[in-house]
Amino acid sequence: MQDASPPTAEVEPPADEPITARGDLTDAACWIALGIAILVGSITMDRLEQQHINPYTVPGLLPGLLGIMMIVLGGILALRSMRRGALHLAPPPPSAHDRERWRRIWVVTALCLGYGVVLIGHGLPFWLASTIYVTGSILIIQRMSRDPAERRRTQTPKAWAKALTIGLSSSVITHLVFQEFFLVRLP
Amino acid sequence: MLQGLAELGHAYLGFLNPLTLAYGLGGAFVGIIMGILPGLSATLAIALLTTLTIKLQTNDAILVLICSYVGALYGGSRTAILLNIPGTAANAASCADGYALAKKGQAGRAIGIATSGAFVSTLFGVLCLATFTPVLAEVALSFGAFEFFWLALFGVTMSGSIVGQDPLKGWLMGMFGLFLAQVGQEGLYAHDRFTFGWDELAGGFALIPALVGAFGLAEVLTTLADPIERKIMDLKDSVLPRWREIAQYWRTVLRSGVIGVFTGLLPGVGEDAGSWMSYAAAKAVSKEKEQFGKGSIDGLMAAETGDMASVPGHIIPCLALGIPGSAPSAVLMAAMIIHGVQPGPMLMIQHPTFIYEVVAMTTLASFTILLFGLFGVRPLLHVLKVPRAILMPIVFLLCVVGAYATASRLFDVYAMLAIGTAAFFLRRRGYEMAPLVLGLVLGHLLDKSLRRGLVLSDGSLLPFFTRPICMVFAAVTLFTILLYVPGFKAGVNWMRRALVQGFKALLPRRG
Repeated sequence: MQDASPPTAEVEPPADEPITARGDLTDAACWIALGIAILVGSITMDRLEQQHINPYTVPGLLPGLLGIMMIVLGGILALRSMRRGALHLAPPPPSAHDRERWRRIWVVTALCLGYGVVLIGHGLPFWLASTIYVTGSILIIQRMSRDPAERRRTQTPKAWAKALTIGLSSSVITHLVFQEFFLVRLP
Repeated sequence: MLQGLAELGHAYLGFLNPLTLAYGLGGAFVGIIMGILPGLSATLAIALLTTLTIKLQTNDAILVLICSYVGALYGGSRTAILLNIPGTAANAASCADGYALAKKGQAGRAIGIATSGAFVSTLFGVLCLATFTPVLAEVALSFGAFEFFWLALFGVTMSGSIVGQDPLKGWLMGMFGLFLAQVGQEGLYAHDRFTFGWDELAGGFALIPALVGAFGLAEVLTTLADPIERKIMDLKDSVLPRWREIAQYWRTVLRSGVIGVFTGLLPGVGEDAGSWMSYAAAKAVSKEKEQFGKGSIDGLMAAETGDMASVPGHIIPCLALGIPGSAPSAVLMAAMIIHGVQPGPMLMIQHPTFIYEVVAMTTLASFTILLFGLFGVRPLLHVLKVPRAILMPIVFLLCVVGAYATASRLFDVYAMLAIGTAAFFLRRRGYEMAPLVLGLVLGHLLDKSLRRGLVLSDGSLLPFFTRPICMVFAAVTLFTILLYVPGFKAGVNWMRRALVQGFKALLPRRG
């Protein structure tokens, strides 16, 4: 407990990962693919001819135009990224900070998706699902801290009890405020 | 005119009861807390409160939302000053000078300036809201399908151009937002588009879950992805509002108020544009340019008044045209629709008193932030001391509730998760969310207007370009796009230089 002053606040964080020309080229390919898919979907969409509608009001008209615009803008993005050296310049290797950030991103995304897709809406009471999520998230995120003292603290029963108290109280309060007080349905 | 004033007076009197005032204070309180917390935005505050207030009376619910809107932007400046992180995107311009003042031990003074600037500029914006909204609504009554087509396209184009660093990516996001709005049953024949036989998709993507994802989940991921947690500056001096500085910098306040309202009128541009433009204008005319970024009172005042004045500015096109000025006003508009008030040209006919009630609500909102500025700054700042490992899971819990509660559909939770995760990764690659939101809001209007226009003109595109209002919108939209074509931009620059030189050449002859 006594050994740690957090080394965090004084360190100025490095800039976010730069947006590379190669990244833009990948994006452009995705936009063009999406635009083509939308255009094909619009062209093959039912034109409701059996309903004798005005041909200028076919449902696929605007989506088709949007698909064409995406292809054009994606093409311009591709050309621009190539002019900026997307085909020649290799992206910089990820730093330790980047690797740590990505690890955090995947863990937090998994926690959020786990709560929203697995825990919610499958029979588990809302307050219980939320308690599990909030308690687990607090402990896991604290465990990923750069501060060794904070990491060690997550192994103590006190930290688990504190996380459980916060998880339980936040879930129950949310349940009471939304469902009982403001009459809003919860999953 | 007199009838308008009478309606306004009646609206003010209608809000003078303890319960309504409590709702207003409650909305502002939640908004300020959300604004203070880095990453949580006014959009998320309004989206979450929309679900919470769904069973309230229309006026009470909208009052809560407007107060939270104003409160969130006001609260965001505290974080900018004490933490050098904008609480909301609109407070980014306050970071440089606000944090520099805090480092000099004048954090309280900076907060006091922000409070007084926010109060005065919101009131200025309210004045413009009361004056211009009925006029604009009157003009909008002459709009038809052709005009609305261009208005929607103009909004998405402007939003893509101005928000963020890269217009190309902004436009792509705008197109993507417009496409997302096409998913589900279309408005003319109820034909399913891009639903792939999935019944849940027939209803399309609802706005509130999408916004909770784009501004809630994406922010949770952004905040927790950063391995470093920052600490706030100490607050030693008084945080009381500084009226002397308002009097001293009245030109800045007035100029920034006008710029804030004007940028608010542009569809989908956002509060940060008002803030940055006011800051740039103040720097351009200041005698102490070198002080900007190093703790300039003028700079902080400009940034704070610019973003707060843009709030009523954003509500003007939202009410009069049904076109939101920013992401938070888009949610506000969605909330109005949920409560049975359809913003747009017909608003003055269907709900003639509503505009004046909104004016009264926004006035009340400005007084609530003054009240919190006087008595609530220090206690509220304790929320910044809560570690993000505790705060963010609770925020995400509220995001799930917010996404689910409007329609009680699990699909909305899944849509929120998908859009939020995609928004997080897109933002890391330089794509802004505001054009996407505007596209999502305006997609139906654009689709209906295009097809109705083509029916009216029997397939001819001419009326889209020859009607007077269409000509203006078309010219501005195409000019905005063409400005990013290097050859066209060079031509415009050449013409501008030639005009300036020609004008200068004329001046000595006159002398």
